[in-house]
Amino acid sequence: MNYIAPCLYAFGASLAFAFVFNIPRNKLLLSALGGMLGQLVYVVFQLVISNDVILYLLATIAISLYAEVLARLTKSPTTIYLAVALIPLVPGGGIYYTMLYFINSEIDLGISTGIHTLLISGALAVGIIMVSSTVNLVRKVMIKSKTKIRKKIKYGKNT
Amino acid sequence: MTINQLSHVAMEMGVILLSNGAETYRVEESMHRICIALGAKEAEIFVVPTTIIISVTLEGEVPLTRTRRIHSRKIDLTKVSEINHLSRHICYEPTNYKDLLADIRRIDTIPSYPYYLHVLAFAFISQMFTLFFGGSFVDSCVGFMIGMGIKLQMDIMGRFEANVFFTNIVGGLIASTVAVAASGLGLTTNMDTIIIGSIMTLVPGLAITNSIRDIIAGDYLSGLAKGIEALLIGAAIAAGVAVPLSLLRPFWGG
Repeated sequence: MNYIAPCLYAFGASLAFAFVFNIPRNKLLLSALGGMLGQLVYVVFQLVISNDVILYLLATIAISLYAEVLARLTKSPTTIYLAVALIPLVPGGGIYYTMLYFINSEIDLGISTGIHTLLISGALAVGIIMVSSTVNLVRKVMIKSKTKIRKKIKYGKNT
Repeated sequence: MTINQLSHVAMEMGVILLSNGAETYRVEESMHRICIALGAKEAEIFVVPTTIIISVTLEGEVPLTRTRRIHSRKIDLTKVSEINHLSRHICYEPTNYKDLLADIRRIDTIPSYPYYLHVLAFAFISQMFTLFFGGSFVDSCVGFMIGMGIKLQMDIMGRFEANVFFTNIVGGLIASTVAVAASGLGLTTNMDTIIIGSIMTLVPGLAITNSIRDIIAGDYLSGLAKGIEALLIGAAIAAGVAVPLSLLRPFWGG
């Protein structure tokens, strides 16, 4: 129960965000499932890894892969799936506690929480960058090899 | 198709894409693809989040340059998706000017989800995130009210064209005032959870995603502009939340 409940809440929040972003009606559920997937990966790997920056990185890699694959399958922009799925991973709590520590003049705690929050945001960015660069590279290699094979077939016929 | 019509079609599609939340590199790419598919010899396009400049050359004609300034931006990914489909369609089969204009007009007037659904969605986001961060059911109901309040406040301030940062400061202010009041009245004990849950409605998710994707695509100018927008919105939310927390705490003892 402790593992399933956060995933369901993330799903609900992502679905509501899909309405706010005006996502096409037939893709609402698919995009909200991305938010659930990110949380699921986070919760599952929590059993093995204790460093939460790496957990955020893994969750982001999972949702970016999901978004890229679905975007190719449904022939629609990746942003539709990625923006919605990313939101449950945004460190809202980190921003709040950083601010709270600074108000209570606990500067040391504030700085360490702030840097932790920055690291998490960095992990989100790195996860997205890794996946979409790799997917782009694979796509380009596939297109190139396809045209090469075509040329070979043509060339073979001519001779 | 004349050079005037061609650049008009490309510009209209670019404007719809950019003003509804597409990434900058997507706008440049689709406009370029449309121009080439419609028979332009060369097309140079420069897009930043507030401006589109397009310069088209046709065989044996004087080049034509158009500029458009984008004044208001909102988020409607249905339109982005539809324009994406249309530009793919243009590349595969030729169409004429009239049909294209009719298609663009149809996409531009697609209605978004009804207003009450948007208000409910904001309230629901706030409720779900309060539960997500470990709040009880009563906490989540307070979050529901705050979410509704934030959406109404954003629309009222949007009508007076207040800037984004001020809107977010007031949003954070509402969230923490209501949460402090609720804990002062004894409705709840974990005020922090309610505040975190309800400020998640203000998080600029699309700006973060688009800025990262623009930077990957090599569009550093737009990527940095959007990244700084996201950072400043985060700072604005924190500033808005901080004011009631530091001013009201001594009175309510929260």
